[in-house]
Amino acid sequence: MKILIVEDEVSLLKSIKDYLTHEGNICESVSRFETARQKLSLYDYDCVVLDLMLPDGEGMQLLKYIKSLHKTYGVVIISARNALEDKITGLNLGADDYLVKPFHMSELNARIAAIIRRKDHNSNTQIIFNEITIDPLAKTVTVNDTEVYFTRKEYNLLVYFVVNRGKVISKNAAAEHIWGDDADMANSFDFIYTHIKNIRKKLQEAGSKDYFHSVYGVGYRFTAE
Amino acid sequence: MKLFTIYNRMLLVVLFGGFITVGAFFYQALTYILNSTIDEGLNEELMEVREFMHSRNHAPAPKGDKNLIITFENIPNATDYKEIKDTVFFNPKKRVTESGRYLKADIVFEGRPLRVLIINSKLPQQKQFQLIFFAILIPVLILFAVLIYINHYILKKMWQPFRHILSQIKTFNLNKESKYISVNSSVDEFTELDESVSAMITKIREDFREIKLFTENASHEMMTPIAVINSKLDNILQSNTLREEDSQSLQDLYMAISKLNKISHSLLLLVKIEHDLLTGPEELSVNEMILQKADYFRELISERHLHLTIKTANTTVKTSRYLFDILLNNLFSNAIRHNIDSGKINVSLKDGELIFENTGQLSPLQEDKVFERFYKTAGSEGIGLGLAIIKQICNKQNFDLKYEYRAPFHSFIINLN
Repeated sequence: MKILIVEDEVSLLKSIKDYLTHEGNICESVSRFETARQKLSLYDYDCVVLDLMLPDGEGMQLLKYIKSLHKTYGVVIISARNALEDKITGLNLGADDYLVKPFHMSELNARIAAIIRRKDHNSNTQIIFNEITIDPLAKTVTVNDTEVYFTRKEYNLLVYFVVNRGKVISKNAAAEHIWGDDADMANSFDFIYTHIKNIRKKLQEAGSKDYFHSVYGVGYRFTAE
Repeated sequence: MKLFTIYNRMLLVVLFGGFITVGAFFYQALTYILNSTIDEGLNEELMEVREFMHSRNHAPAPKGDKNLIITFENIPNATDYKEIKDTVFFNPKKRVTESGRYLKADIVFEGRPLRVLIINSKLPQQKQFQLIFFAILIPVLILFAVLIYINHYILKKMWQPFRHILSQIKTFNLNKESKYISVNSSVDEFTELDESVSAMITKIREDFREIKLFTENASHEMMTPIAVINSKLDNILQSNTLREEDSQSLQDLYMAISKLNKISHSLLLLVKIEHDLLTGPEELSVNEMILQKADYFRELISERHLHLTIKTANTTVKTSRYLFDILLNNLFSNAIRHNIDSGKINVSLKDGELIFENTGQLSPLQEDKVFERFYKTAGSEGIGLGLAIIKQICNKQNFDLKYEYRAPFHSFIINLN
């Protein structure tokens, strides 16, 4: 995937770029409105990660510009602004997702993956990981052609881990993925452990290998290694 | 008591007292003048009696004057006796008893000592007296009435700007953008008061706006550095060389970041609620939303082995969905967070009254402080903004919010009507 990251905070830009590059994407990064516009007019991208507040222009303007090019880029807005109107304006202008800062890299990655899946009508939209096949449209999970039933939260969590395969996902990130702002509610993130235990059990009962590896107290990694 | 009433009462007392004093004084003076006029007449009469008797050699008997009576009396010795006094007498000429003034004096007539009594009726003078008295009293009374009336009317009108200013101060609300309406008054004091109050309100509003803006900007500005830290942590986490202690530190850092993030979001939310920057009202089914929320929090509830009971009746409320969602969210979060393991949560909705009860620490919270920002009890892990947000939402939506402790339950009661 070719991704353009537009973000004026250089260290954040670098983190995003590092994470997404490690995921096997080709990333270009710009921190100015004008350079972003130039890049957009010259090259094609699969997805644009767009910060709304840039020193020399509004991200919304860039969004309008992208739409005027009539390209089917996926656009994820990343912004510190959490106002409902901003979200609505952004989504109305054609953005595919709106992520409020601060966010976890794995969350951004999952959102980008979801957008690209949606945009890619021609190819197979299924997420396949060895013997596990996830159909995001039907929201079903099959292991070796056997359908496994998951609750909504378990399903979301599984997709999250599969999309971020190979990465360590902190319990916070996993909790925030399901709970959003209320993630800090629980005294510990033990309930994430409960969910993962359930997912593991269901997968293994259907004949899958155990791909969840716990990483000390921090979180889990979903990997075939 | 109103200033106006006090002033009027004082004015009445002073006017009435003054009127009585002046009246009494006036009456005395008038009586004195009248009496001295009569006395003069009496003395003259006495002199006339003496002269008359000398020339005519017999006692005078004035016939034409019905108000004057002269009588003689034989006495053994004539002295220097002379007396002038008020009296009530029977007037044989008019055949009525009336008040008058008499003069008694001794005279010697042809060697005979006589006591002469001259009585002068006061009636004609009294009539005069009354005339004068009423001629003065009636205009004064009229003046008096006019004065009170004018006083009443003018004072009321004069104090109008003051009352206007007062009513505006009374209804002043920082959260409402009602404009201060200046009053036009010719009274310098009121103009000054008006200017001061207006300036004060403007200043308060400006300061408040500035604080809100500051909170908003500070919260926004915090987001970017938090995002940077968070993203760096995510990247550090990916390195395969982390030791267990490092992981633990990372976990703590994540926790701290998430708390900072929550504070920022909550402050922003408070500002937004104050600014009314949220979605408009719509008809919501409260019971449905409660059940959805309960489902949403299911894991958190079962993780702490809490026992949740929900008793709802079909209730709708017209309010902002976004705000009401946050309200329920915070009520549930609060009930879960401040609970004890294996505790209880009772949610009931009846007759438009929404009650959240939860077990928790076995002592009541401070009722007056519980909804304050950053209020926390010892050992509380929250940031102390959840209840402040609940309060703010209730204020905005005109819901009545109460906290009660009915052992062992902490209850939050919201009247949705």
